[in-house]
Amino acid sequence: MKRMVVTTLTLLLPSIASAADVDFAKDIAPIFEQHCLRCHNPGNAKGDFSLATIDQARENEYLSAGDPEASYLLELVTSPSENEPPAMPKEGDPLTDEQRELLRTWIAAGAEWPEDVVLREPSLADKSWWSFQPIADNEPPAAGDAPTDWQKHPLDRFVFEAMTEKGLTPSPMSDRHTLIRRATYDLLGLPPTPEEIAAFEVDDSPDAWERLIDRLLESPHYGERWGRHWLDVIRFGESRGFERNEIINNAWPFRDYVINSFNDDKPFDQFTREQLAGDVIGANDPEVEVATTFLVCGPYDDVGNQDAAQAAQIRANTIDDIIRATSEAFLGLTVGCSRCHDHKFDPIRQTDYYALYSTLAGVTHGQREVATAEQRQTRHEQLAPLEEQRNTVQQQIDETEQAIRERAKQQEADIAADWTRPPVSRQMTEETFDPVDVHFVRLIVEGSESSPASDRSYRIDEIEVWTAGEEPSNVALAANGGRATGDSRVAQDFDGAYSVDLVNDGLFGARWIPSTPQLTIELPETQTIDRVSFSSDRKGDSVGNSVAAFVSEYRIEVSADGEEWTEVANSHDRQPINEAHRNHRLRQAVITGEERQQLAKLQKKLGDINSQIAAVPALPVWWVGNYSRPAGPFHVFLGGDPQKPGEEVTPASLSFVDAVAPPPSDLTQVGQARASLAEWIVDPSNPLTPRVLVNRVWQYHFGKGIVDTPSDFGAMGGQPSHPELLDWLARQLITPEAEGGFDWRLKPLHKFIMLSQTYRQSSAARDEAIAVDADSRLLWRFPPRRLSAEEIRDTMLSITGKLDTRMGGPGFRLYRYLQDNVATYVPLEEHGPETYRRAVYHQNARASVIDLMSDFDCPDPAFAAPRRSATTTPLQALTLMNHDFTLDMADELATRVSQDAGDQPTDQIERAFVLAFGRSPDPNERDVTLPLVEQHGLNTLCRVLLNANEFIYLN
Amino acid sequence: MNRRDLLGNVYTAMTGIGLAHLLAGDSRAASQSAHVAGETHHPAKAKRVLQIFCPGAASHMDLWEHKPSLEKYHGQPLPGGENLVSFQGKNGNLMKSPWDMPPAGETGKRISSMLPHMAKHVDRIAFIHSMHSKTNTHGPGCVFMNTGHAQEGFPSAGAWTSYALGSANDNLPTYVAMPDIRGEPPNGKANWSNGFLPAKHQGIALTAQQPIRNLDRPESISADSERASRELLSLLNERHAEAHPELTELRARMAAYELAARMQLSAPEVMELSAEPESIHQLYATNDANPLKAAYARNCLLARRLLERGVRYVNLYCASRASGVDGLLNWDAHKTLKSDYERHCPIFDQPTAALITDLAQRGLLDDTLVLWTTEFGRMPTHQEGTTGRDHNPDGFTCWMLGAGVKPGVTHGATDEFGRRAELDPTTVWDFYATVLHLLGFDHTKLTWYHNGLDRRLTDVHGNVIEPVLA
Repeated sequence: MKRMVVTTLTLLLPSIASAADVDFAKDIAPIFEQHCLRCHNPGNAKGDFSLATIDQARENEYLSAGDPEASYLLELVTSPSENEPPAMPKEGDPLTDEQRELLRTWIAAGAEWPEDVVLREPSLADKSWWSFQPIADNEPPAAGDAPTDWQKHPLDRFVFEAMTEKGLTPSPMSDRHTLIRRATYDLLGLPPTPEEIAAFEVDDSPDAWERLIDRLLESPHYGERWGRHWLDVIRFGESRGFERNEIINNAWPFRDYVINSFNDDKPFDQFTREQLAGDVIGANDPEVEVATTFLVCGPYDDVGNQDAAQAAQIRANTIDDIIRATSEAFLGLTVGCSRCHDHKFDPIRQTDYYALYSTLAGVTHGQREVATAEQRQTRHEQLAPLEEQRNTVQQQIDETEQAIRERAKQQEADIAADWTRPPVSRQMTEETFDPVDVHFVRLIVEGSESSPASDRSYRIDEIEVWTAGEEPSNVALAANGGRATGDSRVAQDFDGAYSVDLVNDGLFGARWIPSTPQLTIELPETQTIDRVSFSSDRKGDSVGNSVAAFVSEYRIEVSADGEEWTEVANSHDRQPINEAHRNHRLRQAVITGEERQQLAKLQKKLGDINSQIAAVPALPVWWVGNYSRPAGPFHVFLGGDPQKPGEEVTPASLSFVDAVAPPPSDLTQVGQARASLAEWIVDPSNPLTPRVLVNRVWQYHFGKGIVDTPSDFGAMGGQPSHPELLDWLARQLITPEAEGGFDWRLKPLHKFIMLSQTYRQSSAARDEAIAVDADSRLLWRFPPRRLSAEEIRDTMLSITGKLDTRMGGPGFRLYRYLQDNVATYVPLEEHGPETYRRAVYHQNARASVIDLMSDFDCPDPAFAAPRRSATTTPLQALTLMNHDFTLDMADELATRVSQDAGDQPTDQIERAFVLAFGRSPDPNERDVTLPLVEQHGLNTLCRVLLNANEFIYLN
Repeated sequence: MNRRDLLGNVYTAMTGIGLAHLLAGDSRAASQSAHVAGETHHPAKAKRVLQIFCPGAASHMDLWEHKPSLEKYHGQPLPGGENLVSFQGKNGNLMKSPWDMPPAGETGKRISSMLPHMAKHVDRIAFIHSMHSKTNTHGPGCVFMNTGHAQEGFPSAGAWTSYALGSANDNLPTYVAMPDIRGEPPNGKANWSNGFLPAKHQGIALTAQQPIRNLDRPESISADSERASRELLSLLNERHAEAHPELTELRARMAAYELAARMQLSAPEVMELSAEPESIHQLYATNDANPLKAAYARNCLLARRLLERGVRYVNLYCASRASGVDGLLNWDAHKTLKSDYERHCPIFDQPTAALITDLAQRGLLDDTLVLWTTEFGRMPTHQEGTTGRDHNPDGFTCWMLGAGVKPGVTHGATDEFGRRAELDPTTVWDFYATVLHLLGFDHTKLTWYHNGLDRRLTDVHGNVIEPVLA
């Protein structure tokens, strides 16, 4: 049937069968662009074939000009048989019959491809997309129809106009109690104290609200709250992520830098420059260099890989994280989507992505000394004389050892004559001795394969203790009642991993990994024994492999009571296993008492000097990344694959905004490329940066941004609900202070927003408005919200009076950190007072799930989190009802309430409500609460209040 | 109220027209069609999924895919692989499997003699021998196998299933992760993350050894006190909700507290393994002398109890992380393949087979999809200087059975030696396109907007593996 249709269509379409009617640009190019170019472009080239130009089609003879039947290209897009789809395109719908006929006609007419025409798959949005346009220089609308209060503030006039268009009207102003709670949580992330609420409620001076805002903006808690927002945006995490996920203990200086920058109201253009290129613009200034932790605080894979192609891919992934973080945080663009091909939705070219790649390619993760030149000089001066002393003593030691070695050489033959037995064997080392009655047997290790001086870098897969007689029995075996003791390497998440129990389980393969030179076997009862055997590789499948590193020197001792021990065998007459062991034996044989004393003295001296060296204060070592000249040149990776280099790229800004924000000039120097990129990002002509920034600030004040996808201002992102307002604010932000602008400072912006009527509206719902705009995007009311995880925890600590307000320094942990090759994060059952700091100081690790924090949507910093979720789950209820932290806080709250209010339950209830909710209970609440306090105690009530909805919702 | 808000909540009290629809030039993100939990795209074959995961890269050619050429050319160089450098370094010559693979079942499928119990199920299984991965590293490999992305932070298949299907039993978690007693798998909790999907889609860790965190009422609080507390909490919340109709979340949170209370009753019941008859305990070997096998067996039994009570997705692990001693705690047999798998296979074999038997005898296989996965395969050569095998991302085996799966088939193959997927190469995305297909979903249409894209479990790839469908 299908074939019939094709034929019929062909017959029915005589009008396009004429070559003159086929226009390349109109008829052919769109077919290639929409169906082929996605995969077959110079940057991706699936099947090593690009259709951006005709060159490859000609070279490969896919096109035979003038002969459609001989053109492979046409065959590929045609069904080979009725039930088989055409081979191409692989993704998306097959070509229509009409399109195929156009191709056929075009080929038949000679497959003309106009010179210099390069095809691209079109993106959804082009350079004319709203966010790439210059910031409008607009004036607020008059809003003459607005209520008088709404006509004054520019922001209100914009908001009023937008809501009027949808027939909405503003809400009345909130009451004082609501306002102070709203503002305090908003700026500080903490509740106002009952005293602050009371004072504000009675303050009827006209500037009461403004003074409140000023007070809050001056509080150091402001930086803790708003710094946390920025840490979300830039995926700041304090573990490395991926398989090893080792914790990072020295990234906290950056967290403090962010908090301080907010508190100091550092202009955001400077803040941006420092984070992208602090090492360049602030070399040897720790306060500035620390900012570059921004580049290296994302997840990266540090497992190590001998496979070169995989290692290159991992490196590309690491740079990818930095590209994404940079472009999303500052520019609100998902440049990362252009890694494998041109962006599908935005006009971001693959070459734009790799231009950023070459800019950032010199950055590697890690830690380094961050210090001023003076600090370095001082340390050097302190160390130099000590190091000289150390060298002198070391030389004396070396001379003495040399003398011993020479003497040993002379006596070697005599000493070695005593080594008559074969060396120890990993597979089986056995000692026989005269029968002896014992209850305990122990192996004392004096040296290991790796070094005669190391008595604990060995492993044992099995040890046997044999009874004397005709039918010897292994009485060490656990199944026969033997019990092994000896300390092991610790795996806290699975204590059986390297356990000493592995030495007498009768199984080979898994080995005891000791942390002690001593293995003791307790027999079930006193036995007559005459033989002990042990091994590290009984199966013999680990020859030469360090997994079965073995004992090299040992003694075996026995005891009847576990107190008095008798030696029954040792390794001293065995041949040493290698040269190092041989030398050690010889040294032991010839060293004199006098030499021992002398060496001991020198070693002590050396130890003292080393202690002095260690006591010289070390320079700070921080996780700020490292920078080197990247080994260029850099290329586009075709399809994102580092093994397929494409066209060469050099550092550049983003091409599609060139016309609006001209590219910077100096992008070629090491590091300078990053500094120049930063300058371009904050250049007043760049329309993205200030729009993205004011939108973020707006979002944290109102719950949603004017653009509700704060890190995506592209075609997949949201449209601005108030585009004129967004531009007006963006312009205001970057306008210098002298001209009445905010000069890139956020505190004036906060104050400006909060002084509006819009911000101070009631959040009460109105049915008619809900029906039009349930999200409150048009701000006909103040959108209510749930507290964040940090706010919930901080509030509990705050109202109980237990909040430790110390700022800065190393963070605290709500998990047990286990590391055994890889890291495991186990949430704590109890949170001690050392954790009673603000949650911003929690050392947030990747891939950890931490009770209250994770339950209430504190994000895993695997990705940037430009917007927090506010989910509701039963797990939240379980955690908040049952975790010890809630119980502790309930007890602390009860203690504080009793101290404040005395013994009377009614007084206690009053105070508990005031502390928890910032208000008194009404008579009905008092009535229903009283029986609980009387029957079950005040702390029971406190636990209820901490779980109440009112505690975590804000309106 | 837009789609994301709607789904972020358990219940919503208010509805209204989203502003997104009012704005000119509606963004794609805001206008994408709402997915309502449980609304499948086509009739589903499977209602729930059991995913058994053997982390550490369980060797395809030593467990599931018979490679006679390895025996034949044992000790000779891998053709074309003379200078092969893989994850840990250089490789030696070809190494035959330490075990033979006798034919099993009516299909005569050959699997390792180390898996005698699993051999009884080969006729049920659809083997996929042509899997290949993007990465040769365990952590990203496990995360890739579980989320379709090698980078952590994306939702796992279980989270997508929870999003797609919703809960079938509000009293239990929708998605349960069961890590092994030996610890978490490589990359830990990222394997059962909800990623950017709402938190209710996260995998809840629950094993026979480790109950749901914070489940139990604290000992210091009496039942009476708890009851009175909950009553007062309801009263206060009710009054507050009445006074604040603008806070649409308040009712949802009250409902969540009720759900939590019901979970407190249901979860201990499901964990009560002693309610099972002795014959069942023997089938699974829950009291085996090997404590690791017994522990895994108890998790297998618990998995069945969870599935039959309506848990949608169980992510069950057999083995754990990299310990620094390769192959000790998981299937990562770099240096001593024989010793390592002589430890791991007996732990895995009987309990897993018992779980399949038990699901079958209860009729649960009719609508339960069972998956067996690992993150990648192993090299046909031995690692230089050892008797183990290095990582091989280019070829490995996964399998599926149960609801909607064609029994007793083999799809795809690696080359003669097991080095690379050769016949019908199959991606992780194909695997999950198939899983979602069986659950009633078109994998290209189950999406969630995040950072610039409508994200999918199958990234921008994936084709349903038709030959394994019944």
